Amino acid sequence: MAEHNKHTDHAEAHFREKHLMLDPLPRGQMNEMVMESMHTTSWKFWVVFAGLSVVVAYGLFYSWGVMIAEGLGVAGVNRPSYWGIFLVNTVFWIGISHAGTFISAILRVFKAEFRRPFTRAAELMTTFGLIQAGFSILMHMGRVWLSYWLMPYPNQRMLWPNLHSPLTWDLLAITTYLLSSTMYLFLPLIPDVAMARDRSSGWRKTFYKILALGFRGTEGEWTHLRNAMNIFAFAIIPVMFSVHTIVSWDFAAATRPGWNSTIFGPYFVVGALHSGMGAVVMVLVVVRGTMKNMKYFIRPEHFEAIGRLMLIISMTWAYFFFNDYMVQWYGGDKWTKQLLHFHEAGPMGWMWFVMLIFNVAIPWAVLWNARWRATPWIVFSVGLLINVGMWFERYIIIPVSLSINRMPFTWRLYQPGIEIPLGIGTLAFFILLYMTASKLIPLIPVWEVQEGQMAHELKKFGRETVVTVSELE
Amino acid sequence: MAESNLVDILAVFPDLEPAADAIEHLRSLGVHDDCMNVISGIPVTEAMLGRPSQWTNVPRIALGGALLGFGAGVFLAFVSPYLYPYPIQVSTQAFIPGAPTVVVLFELTMLGMLLSTFLGVFLDSFFPNYRPMKYVPEVSDGKICILVECSYVEEKKIMDALKKLGAESVKPAEAQHL
Repeated sequence: MAEHNKHTDHAEAHFREKHLMLDPLPRGQMNEMVMESMHTTSWKFWVVFAGLSVVVAYGLFYSWGVMIAEGLGVAGVNRPSYWGIFLVNTVFWIGISHAGTFISAILRVFKAEFRRPFTRAAELMTTFGLIQAGFSILMHMGRVWLSYWLMPYPNQRMLWPNLHSPLTWDLLAITTYLLSSTMYLFLPLIPDVAMARDRSSGWRKTFYKILALGFRGTEGEWTHLRNAMNIFAFAIIPVMFSVHTIVSWDFAAATRPGWNSTIFGPYFVVGALHSGMGAVVMVLVVVRGTMKNMKYFIRPEHFEAIGRLMLIISMTWAYFFFNDYMVQWYGGDKWTKQLLHFHEAGPMGWMWFVMLIFNVAIPWAVLWNARWRATPWIVFSVGLLINVGMWFERYIIIPVSLSINRMPFTWRLYQPGIEIPLGIGTLAFFILLYMTASKLIPLIPVWEVQEGQMAHELKKFGRETVVTVSELE
Repeated sequence: MAESNLVDILAVFPDLEPAADAIEHLRSLGVHDDCMNVISGIPVTEAMLGRPSQWTNVPRIALGGALLGFGAGVFLAFVSPYLYPYPIQVSTQAFIPGAPTVVVLFELTMLGMLLSTFLGVFLDSFFPNYRPMKYVPEVSDGKICILVECSYVEEKKIMDALKKLGAESVKPAEAQHL
């Protein structure tokens, strides 16, 4: 009997160590931990911050200034590849932005409990990723000061945007998604900034007081907030799907070999989730490793769960890739076959193979193992490789596919120019925004964690101890 | 004149159970549900505390916003092509195309719905509100606070009852800057 009790105690201790939801701390202590993580900043943070600021100043703002002054000629886009890295980056950043909604909204709708500590970290990626996507589109436009011509408003020229064009749908979809995801980021943040307000002084107090809007946590306030979050969680999912589907139609609606595919919509959505999940896992590993107290909130169980999703998404991506490839290859169109051959055996063929290795072979080889996918540095590496692979995929779809067409005398390989510093600038700006946010807003939604901890308990069925979750809503 | 006879009491409870018991007891003392409010650091459902359902306009505002967004989509898709001085007909293309219209209607309907849902929270909760309010910061540490409005003559009786029911602190509520 004593032996059995000892075994049960050991099993319970193991569960509590493993699962955040079964290892509750007093709410006040969790609040303090999150506040401390925001307030504690090492010199290394400032060194990286300063370095990134220099990269952003040069790569993003100076280089963009040069392009505005000199014209699009300083970029590598030219006949026949009029779409280059700017649009590769646009698609890439919109893809990154999908992870936030996927983790926060879809997992919320399906009540996946492991999501709780990192929904905000993922939502922040959505908003900051979309900002970079917006920048990339504006860069691609060249004459950025005329971007307002896209907006539908009565004007002296009596012109309206052409709503038959997928590019105008892009504007509508990305604007809708950027606004929605920012609002969806803000709503669950209100109780946490109210918590920060109650624990701050000086300029931080004023900052949080403004953001908290006077939230106290009355029954009415929670009811309105909960209703709104439910509406958002359901409604933002089709918006998310529509955004990348519409981005895919920029290509699929054209009668070009390699682009004119009916499967491009879901293929792009899955690709977006693939890179987005990889980016989320990278962010979580960095946050856990560099910010104080984060090891309590972000545990191997979370990497294990995200790793499982990454594996499923990788398999789905492979399925769509093969489906797209197979139908085009089978069709037998001369120009399409030539393009497929160019992808694999042309001067950028190495990129095509690396894409498949990074997006499929490595995730499958690594993520099937529960222990490996629960190891932070391993999932970080897989996430990084997936992102490189997915960037390559977009590069192959856009400038590589445009390099050859039905007029062989125009064939020319795309050589990027100022796009390279501008692309690095957007990446640095994304990281810089994230670093700034990590010091200003609670990255962990403490109230959601506490709510989850209230709902979880260990229960004995016969001699086995299992985790149970109560439906609190 | 009658309002000046009313006082607010703030009772802080360590957990849900004693707070739920206190609400039940307050009701037996004649305090109406409308005279109570619960302030908490997590969303505590009405059922947990035995409280009546809270009314919210957020879904209705969201629906209104969706209709407005749909209307904006109809304007862009069906009306704006006619606003050109000489409406442009391109070859055999439909002047108002079917499938692209669905895209425009969908995006603007969703935008209208989500914007109005967000605004609905502001309207229903009277956000932003930076005036002094009755509140205790312990709420964000996980405590459950019951705010009771009662007449001056009942103040002592209710405060004593709340203390007996396990409140960590019971005091007259004073509005303060958050």
